Amino acid sequence: MDVKIFQFHGCNKCFNETILLNGESEYKVEFIEDPKNWKETKTDVSVITGYLLLEDREVLDKIKSNSGKIIGYGNCATTGGVFALANQRGYDISPLNKFIVDAQKINGCLGEVEELKSAINYEEPSKLKNLCLVCGRKTTCDYLDEVKRQIELDDDTTCFNDLGYLCSGFIAKECKERCIDYNAPCRGCKSSLERPGIRMLGMFGTLMGNIEVATEHSELGATDKLADQDDDVTDSLPDVLGNFFRFTLPTSGLPRGRIPSSGNILNDVFAGRLIEELPLISGLLGGDHSISLTLKIIETYEKANQIELSEPTKKYRQELLELENQLQEAIKSKDPEQYKKITDEIRKIGGNMNLSNVFFGGFRTQIDDNDNFEDYKTHVFDVVEGTYKNGSVEFKIDPIGIVKEIIIKEV
Amino acid sequence: MSCENIEPEVLEKMENIVVFMCNECGQGSANTAGVARMAYNPAIRIVRVQCTGQIGPIQIMDALSNGADAVACVGCCLGACHFFNGNVLSMHRIKLLKKVFKELGYSDQFVNQYTSRAAEGETAVGDFEDIVIRLATAIREEGTIKDGC
Ligand code: SF4
Ligand code: SF4
Ligand code: SF4
Repeated sequence: MDVKIFQFHGCNKCFNETILLNGESEYKVEFIEDPKNWKETKTDVSVITGYLLLEDREVLDKIKSNSGKIIGYGNCATTGGVFALANQRGYDISPLNKFIVDAQKINGCLGEVEELKSAINYEEPSKLKNLCLVCGRKTTCDYLDEVKRQIELDDDTTCFNDLGYLCSGFIAKECKERCIDYNAPCRGCKSSLERPGIRMLGMFGTLMGNIEVATEHSELGATDKLADQDDDVTDSLPDVLGNFFRFTLPTSGLPRGRIPSSGNILNDVFAGRLIEELPLISGLLGGDHSISLTLKIIETYEKANQIELSEPTKKYRQELLELENQLQEAIKSKDPEQYKKITDEIRKIGGNMNLSNVFFGGFRTQIDDNDNFEDYKTHVFDVVEGTYKNGSVEFKIDPIGIVKEIIIKEV
Repeated sequence: MSCENIEPEVLEKMENIVVFMCNECGQGSANTAGVARMAYNPAIRIVRVQCTGQIGPIQIMDALSNGADAVACVGCCLGACHFFNGNVLSMHRIKLLKKVFKELGYSDQFVNQYTSRAAEGETAVGDFEDIVIRLATAIREEGTIKDGC
């Protein structure tokens, strides 16, 4: 079977993951990194990865007329993905279905290659449970008295939401990467229903029922109305879009944003996000540089704020960086066995390919059974306003920890 | 500020204002207003719901993307919800939705929430007036939400 993989814009992690198809004799895989200059040839299946812009319509039409079946692989292609947070600032990153209505979708950031295989083979998608049903934490859905931005790691049986730390597991399907297993909340990359963000917003708004919402007396008719001022509800969620709509802004049904763009897409994706969410975002979108990018951002902040690092933390981070180098080699040679071996190693330390286990000051879960976790356990860190700079990365944080600006040179 | 001072060209842009009113105080006060023949802006479209607690971001965004210029919920007075706390929960959700609008660079005055009292028609009509005034401010500043939806 002829399978062509097309990489459009942005992160190439999903594209690289398809190297795993290369090892299977039933597929003849071709990787196309420059779809614009692709010489049209007929193919059984075309796989689209990376985010899409309106200007890609022509190329996508060409792909469509030459393919028996088209599959969008990964959130960037299916729903706009994490890059589409830039739509808040006027970008028009669009889901594949806007161009090709009947394209099949494999959601996820990273997309799961097993699901891709079964789609290529025209198999029925397997029925998956809701993520909460397979999560080790249990939820009560009681009203919250407080919303927290960073969680202490001493409780691993209570649902993040019950602890006041928002988790989008409610709207997610069971997944392979399982951020929740690494003390990282789910951000809903593999959604289980349409318009997940807006449903989570309704759900979490309800959970916040005990938290003070500001009302004011209305002179007209003399009743009460919602006050036009910030209150505990809005203050405790400084970045609603980035947390609830991280992967689905273009398909969320919300109007397109009209905050002025900085002219740089990565800056537009990161601006407005919270400092404690940065590793969870750079780990997603950094492609084959996501490890070095994430560590660079984290270490820049740690250094400036004297967050001490233990030797084991440094050791594991160094191992991750070495694995990234090896991974780049495996990607170059499109060697599925090497790729599998190295990504498995990365997962052992980083938790998953999104690096959920990596955080400021250490790691979120124990890496090796023989370790003493206390040696490299992360802890809640302080938000410190400032401009942070370290070679290729520079960012500015405001007093409540919102990224105002970020410049990333190499990715 | 009252509705009378709104410029005609701004009023003209208000075609559909969807107001979800709960079956108890919300709808009750609108009925009382109707019996007393109190006038209100003709763009107001009342949708009767059991409780404002039934209305969330999904219904509000559906209304906005299908042509509403603004959406509001009117529930019972604080502490007087006929169920338990539907009006308060609705307020929390609408507050978050308002924040989403701000984060997208829009006015937060396209969605609002109020209370009213069944025995007093002027509470419903006062809420309608406030919706119109707030919407007028948003339209003056940045046009209608349709320019973005
Ligand atoms: S950002 Fe996520 S969905 Fe997009 S290509 Fe990278 S891993 Fe895949
Ligand atoms: S919301 Fe998150 S933490 Fe809670 S049960 Fe679901 S997946 Fe687990
Ligand atoms: S736990 Fe992580 S990988 Fe799984 S659906 Fe949630 S965000 Fe995606």
